[in-house]
Order: sequence, then structure tokens, then C-alpha cells
Amino acid sequence: MKVACVIPAYNEEKRLLTVISKVRPLVDDLIIVDDCSKDRTYEIARKTGVIVLHHLINLDQGGALKTGTEYALKHGADIIVHFDADDQFSATEIPEMIAPILAGRADIVFGSRFLSKKSNLPWSKAHIIMPLARGVNRFLGIRLSDPQSGFRALSQKAAKEIEITQNGKAHCSEYIAEAFKKKLRIAEVPITVTYHEFGQNFGGGLQIIQDMIIQKIIK
Amino acid sequence: MWQQIIALLIIIFLITRLFKQRQKNNLAKNEFGLWLAFWIIAGLAVVFIRPIDRLVHALGFSASGITFLIYLAVIILFYFLFKLRLKIAKLENNLAKVVREVAQTEVKLRDETKD
Repeated sequence: MKVACVIPAYNEEKRLLTVISKVRPLVDDLIIVDDCSKDRTYEIARKTGVIVLHHLINLDQGGALKTGTEYALKHGADIIVHFDADDQFSATEIPEMIAPILAGRADIVFGSRFLSKKSNLPWSKAHIIMPLARGVNRFLGIRLSDPQSGFRALSQKAAKEIEITQNGKAHCSEYIAEAFKKKLRIAEVPITVTYHEFGQNFGGGLQIIQDMIIQKIIK
Repeated sequence: MWQQIIALLIIIFLITRLFKQRQKNNLAKNEFGLWLAFWIIAGLAVVFIRPIDRLVHALGFSASGITFLIYLAVIILFYFLFKLRLKIAKLENNLAKVVREVAQTEVKLRDETKD
């Protein structure tokens, strides 16, 4: 089984090399999507010899993931892992993430920060933002322990069936919603997240809701 | 009375500008028609402001005709703003498709030149 890992990168010159060195040995293809970074992200990625796709303008994380996923599918990937370039996820957990797909138990696997492993979530994220996001998901009939995880693994079937329209951060919710809508077999795997920065703030959360409403209307 | 005359003069000035823009081909036919209709309606509203006052009262609104027109204008503006937001979202989606295609073609070309 050919495993590809897609990493969207925007202004990640400081951490990208570390992430590439950790992920590269664990996958067959490593695809970095430089989302029109203003720093040397693109040059750094190119020097490592991995596959580098370059966006002419900044599309945001969802858009970059879609570019990388399309590329991986065209090049025969059987499993596609979505990973972050900020070194917050643990690369050693990639085998655990793809295991349910390899075993034929799942079509899509979501990493969860709320199962057995401990992540150092900021207080407001753990006690305000996440419960709110979980509430929105429950309202939509979605029951997952982590409502906004960016660490996921998709089988070829799932990657082909899921249609992502969100270029922004709302793609996380859209992947989950699409997986439920398309009745894919879903698994959750505990992951560890080490926060260097806060990540998504409350304003960002509201932006996600706004993006989702707009996309629903224009769809 | 003077207010109505000033408002009409402004509208007439804007309509002449509209015709000039059309002559220079800066405005498409449809857009020209839309704006012309808009300013003619605005002009009619200024001329018939008293009957509009009576109509608004007859409909049970406490506001005067001109206030009612301002409320209406705000509602219409919000509608256009919403339509514009949707159009931008569609444009963004199309732009993303182009960017994605270019990114993949670039890698393909790079691989081909390597070979």
C-alpha cells in the first residue's frame, strides 16, 4: 500500500525541516504544499527533495490540503495522511493512524486529542472552543470526541468520495461532515498534540461558521 | 421644494455621467440599463414624495415617505452586499481551481525537465 502524506505549509521555515525529517521515513510520498509563503518555506522544502507543490496565491489550509490530496490520488496513493507543518502533531503516530485502514476496518481515521493520550491544550480551547464545536457537531448529528482535528488518514476511497469546498479552516468540520454524509467507515485514534502557539482562536471559530454557511448557500 | 430641486439636479447630473460612461463603452448595456432604471426610480420618488408619504401612512407606517425610502434603501443595500459576498465566494472557488491546476502542472513540468 502506497502511503502519501500531505503537509500544507505557510510561513513554516522554522519548523518545516524538522517535520520533514520526522515524517519522511514513515511514508512513501511526502507532499509539501507551499501556500504562497512569504518566507523561505518553498526553497527549504525544495532542497530536501520531497514533492513540493507551490500555490501562486494563498488559499489557506483547506485549499492546500485539497491540492496535495488531488496530487496524491493522481499519483496512485492508497492512503493519504493529512499532517501539519508546525510540528504540533507527532509523526510517530502516523502508523497508528493508518492501521485501521490497513486492517480494512475504516475508510477514514481522525486523530483525537480527547481519548487516552494527553495533549497540552490551552484552557480556553479545551473548555470553551472545543465544547462549542462539539455542540455544533452534535446538532448536525456528528458524534466524534474531537470536533476539529487536522491529523487524519484517508483511504483512496474516502479521498475520492469526500468533496471539500472549504479553502479555509472550516475544512476540518467539512471532512467530518462529509465522512458521515457519505457513510464512510470512521475510526478515531488517540493522538498527542504539543502546542507551540494557540492555533485557532474564538474569532477564527466564528469565521469557520460563516464560511460553512456561505458555502452551503453557493453550493 | 428646494430640497427636491437639488436632489433632482444631482440625479440629472448622475444620469448624464451614466450616458457618458456608456458612450465611452465603460458600462455594459445591462449595467447601464440597471443604473438608468435606478436613477429614474429615485427621481420619481423625489418628484412624488407627497403621494409616497400618503401611501406609507395608508400602509400603517409611522415614518415619513423619505424615511421609509431610506429604510428600503438600507434593506436593498444589504441584499446587494449579500449577493456580492456570494459572488466573491464563487470567484474564490474558481480561483482556487486555477491555482491548484498551476501548482500540479508546475511539478509535472519540473519532473519532465528532470527526466
